[in-house]
Amino acid sequence: MRIYALALLLITLLAVAEEAVAKPISYVGGTMVMQENDETGNTLSVDYTVTPNYAVGFFAKQEEGGSKNMLTVGPQLNTLVKRWNLPVGQGNIFNMTGIGESTLDGKTRPSAWTGMLADYETRRIFTSYELRLMDAQNMDSYVRQRARAGVAPYLANYDDLNTFLMLQVDDHPDKDHTIVVTPLVRFFYHTALAEAGYSSDHQAMFNWILQF
Amino acid sequence: MRKLLMTAMLLIAMTSAAQAETIIASVNGLVCAFCATSIEKTFKKQPAVDQVKVDLDTKLVTISTKDGQTIDDKTITSLITDAGYSVTNIKRQK
Ligand SMILES: [Cu+2]
Repeated sequence: MRIYALALLLITLLAVAEEAVAKPISYVGGTMVMQENDETGNTLSVDYTVTPNYAVGFFAKQEEGGSKNMLTVGPQLNTLVKRWNLPVGQGNIFNMTGIGESTLDGKTRPSAWTGMLADYETRRIFTSYELRLMDAQNMDSYVRQRARAGVAPYLANYDDLNTFLMLQVDDHPDKDHTIVVTPLVRFFYHTALAEAGYSSDHQAMFNWILQF
Repeated sequence: MRKLLMTAMLLIAMTSAAQAETIIASVNGLVCAFCATSIEKTFKKQPAVDQVKVDLDTKLVTISTKDGQTIDDKTITSLITDAGYSVTNIKRQK
């Protein structure tokens, strides 16, 4: 019984959802709007950075695929766990945790989610790994992983249009297609970012981010 | 009269030129232009700042202050830290 309670606590504490395509923390006083559409569903998040280490926000996700068209909404806290500022690159570890409610087939249940995102980027390369856990009481729960690797075909400076060619690999054992590979292209210019891709399970992907 | 006016204008131009400052900060972690906009946004909110330039090649952030205004090293460092980066060196030019 105690083990069960502990496991439940762990699931609640670790329970995710934010498929962060960029850093979930921007700069103090900055607001970031992120909208993602891919084979896992549609996501909207709005985050406000309070300190260099914390951002508070709102998260909403409409799951897609199979019988799961669950909608999850709720507040979310993003934490910068560790950052490495190097002369040639930057590495980060973030946590994103939220609680809210999920609705499926007219039923609404409390839900919780958490995720860990690790990334390392230079001007030439981009790599990231993300682990996500989500639990909607008696309705749905999952553990998913996502890895990304990208390369910039040219070195863009601050005022140039930046381009990255990337490969995203998703592992979601709860879905029909367990492993999904998505080649994509990312463009960004100053505070606007957009990416588009097409997945191995034949779904179009389109994400965008704006920073204010 | 014209001579006097020109001298006055020259004097004003010289004083203001002497009072604006250029601050050059070397920054670690400055690799991504999307994230680096946070530096530009953070400094533009400062009333003393006239212009900010970010250079990813040299990893330098160049801040020009308004006439007669300055920002101390401590503030520069904390603003860049708030934006998510690390300052390694600060140089000043009048
Ligand atoms: Cu970035």
